[in-house]
Amino acid sequence: MESTPWESELTLDLHRQFGSQIIEFASYREQNFLIARAGAVPAIIEYLKLQRGFDYLVDITAVHWPEREEPFDLIYILYSFSRNERIRIKTRIAEGDRPASVVSLYPGANWLEREVFDMFGIEFAGHPDLRRILLPEEWTGHPLRKDYPITQMDQQWVREHIGIESGQ
Amino acid sequence: MATQTFLDANELVLNMGPQHPSTHGVLRVILKLDGEKVIGTDCIIGYLHRGIEKIGENRTYPMFAPYVDRMDYISAVSNGLGYCLAVEKLLGVEAPPKAQAVRVILTEMNRITSHLVWLGTHALDIGAITPVFYTFREREEALKIFEAYCGARLTTHAFRIGGLQYDLYDTFERDVRKFCDDFLPRIDEYEQLLTGNRIWVERLTGIGILTAEDCKRYGVTGPLLRAAGVQWDIRKAFPYSGYERYEFDVPIGRNADTYDRYLVRMQEMRQSVRIIRQAVDGIPEGPIMAKVPKVMKPPAGEVYVSIEAPKGELGYYIISDGTITPYRVRVRPPSFVNLQALDKMAKGALIADIVAIIGTIDIVLGEVDR
Amino acid sequence: MIRKLLRTILLVDLFEGLWVTFRSQAPKHIYTEQYPAQRPQVAERYRGAPRLNNNPETGETLCIACDLCAIACPEQLIVVSSVRNPQTRRKELTDFTYDLSRCMFCGLCEDACPVDALELTQDFEIAQYSREGLIWDRQMLEEGPKPTQYKS
Repeated sequence: MESTPWESELTLDLHRQFGSQIIEFASYREQNFLIARAGAVPAIIEYLKLQRGFDYLVDITAVHWPEREEPFDLIYILYSFSRNERIRIKTRIAEGDRPASVVSLYPGANWLEREVFDMFGIEFAGHPDLRRILLPEEWTGHPLRKDYPITQMDQQWVREHIGIESGQ
Repeated sequence: MATQTFLDANELVLNMGPQHPSTHGVLRVILKLDGEKVIGTDCIIGYLHRGIEKIGENRTYPMFAPYVDRMDYISAVSNGLGYCLAVEKLLGVEAPPKAQAVRVILTEMNRITSHLVWLGTHALDIGAITPVFYTFREREEALKIFEAYCGARLTTHAFRIGGLQYDLYDTFERDVRKFCDDFLPRIDEYEQLLTGNRIWVERLTGIGILTAEDCKRYGVTGPLLRAAGVQWDIRKAFPYSGYERYEFDVPIGRNADTYDRYLVRMQEMRQSVRIIRQAVDGIPEGPIMAKVPKVMKPPAGEVYVSIEAPKGELGYYIISDGTITPYRVRVRPPSFVNLQALDKMAKGALIADIVAIIGTIDIVLGEVDR
Repeated sequence: MIRKLLRTILLVDLFEGLWVTFRSQAPKHIYTEQYPAQRPQVAERYRGAPRLNNNPETGETLCIACDLCAIACPEQLIVVSSVRNPQTRRKELTDFTYDLSRCMFCGLCEDACPVDALELTQDFEIAQYSREGLIWDRQMLEEGPKPTQYKS
């Protein structure tokens, strides 16, 4: 991605606070984002919320890059009403990592994290109620991963609950 | 000697099942009741999950546009606009001014039709059967214009990446002006039916209060946030498609209850008519499609674009890896995030109020489940 | 104060609403369409049943078997088979299969066709009694569905 570096008063402040925990500040098509280490992200989000007024969590989502060493990208998008500014925080996590949940800061992260768990299998530590949200409870497999083909279904669940051989 | 029987238990768990006329789709709400008061809710969703985000990874950019209509099927034009804006930003092109003006007209008409469905079904759930006939009659006129323009009433696929596919048909401006002129007195008619009506006022005031602080913490946007007093609209905060050229107000409420949300949506419909009139008076001449390649391969990168859909902030986060299909399409659905606040709004309400609260959040299950 | 009390007792707000309903008791324009005696008028650009157009003078098909519609379809339900004519060295259409059961009438195939051979017409009565009946071959596509005509 041809991103351009992003420099502003906010980035200098964050750099002062978190130093090497933030790997990169960049901007693509005038949208600013920062890439940070997985362990520091809850602290960064807390700092942004409490000290910098980013009081609205827009979205939490993930991306699967199967060839990479740390295959999952976890992305948080925050917005500040007072500054009218949106910021993206990206981090890389490995298979089996349990990133900390931000539900204590933003109650709206509850369902968003449940959806990331449902679709990717990333478990969040400290989430009050981590279970599948869009797929049935007993489903196995995490569909939005790249190794899950588009026509695959959990055949055993289909046979048990719907009684037909296959949904395709 | 008194023994404990099941009649002494205070909690009753009631299932408001997926097939229910008032849940606006297949939504299952498990209510924990103390008599008639609700002490807890749990929403089970996913009955309409079709894997649209997974489909997005297997279709090319222009091919994915019809799928996007089917998420929030009531406001398909808005969904299409958001997707086209996101891909255009990835490609680095901008639609020409004529296309932008027509997009604004169709999107605002779509906002009106979405609010009309909301009004009709919400009133029907509360018990007022008349408004639904009137609102659907108005909606018919707007859908005729959609059909004459792009060929379909509901899943319109009206916009293409880079602009528009179809030029305006002959009587488009006349039809749109007639629609606006006929529609404004109708809003007065709906207000006459409902706004002062004591039954409506009593059923709606004080129900489902979600303060501005709670709205921000839950990520709730759209008319719910505006009824809580926060004057925030993406059309003003991050203008897109030429909205900065039009003059319109953003209505807000004071008490953050269901009645204020009703008033906010009625005012939004009036403001939409205002925008449509300004846009149709000044449709510029020119091409309708920007220069986009036939085979779209945006450079590798990612972009998040959001628009003010009738239900709230609808966002598209698209990651491109330089090939003809996107690497990841994430749709940030307003109804999904707004529905989380149901638990907060429903504590302490009566069962009849749950129906009013679900109606006022204005969910469309196609968007909640994708 | 007294005015408000009178408004409440005499149900003025409810009567205001009832007046709106009573106003429309004798409508000037009846919207009910007598279907199937009267087919509704759909717009010219309506995306309905597909049709393969023929050249009106010669009666031959306009399709040049370029396969662009099949490439454009999101569901990949068009199959175009052709054979190359040895004299004119052009491709000629032999068979055209369109699976209407999975079609979502998005219009991408109609947009992609360079010669306007494939067109989505204004036919909306395309119901069949079996799922296989919805897989249309070339003949069905050229003639179109023939719904039963009802006389009033």
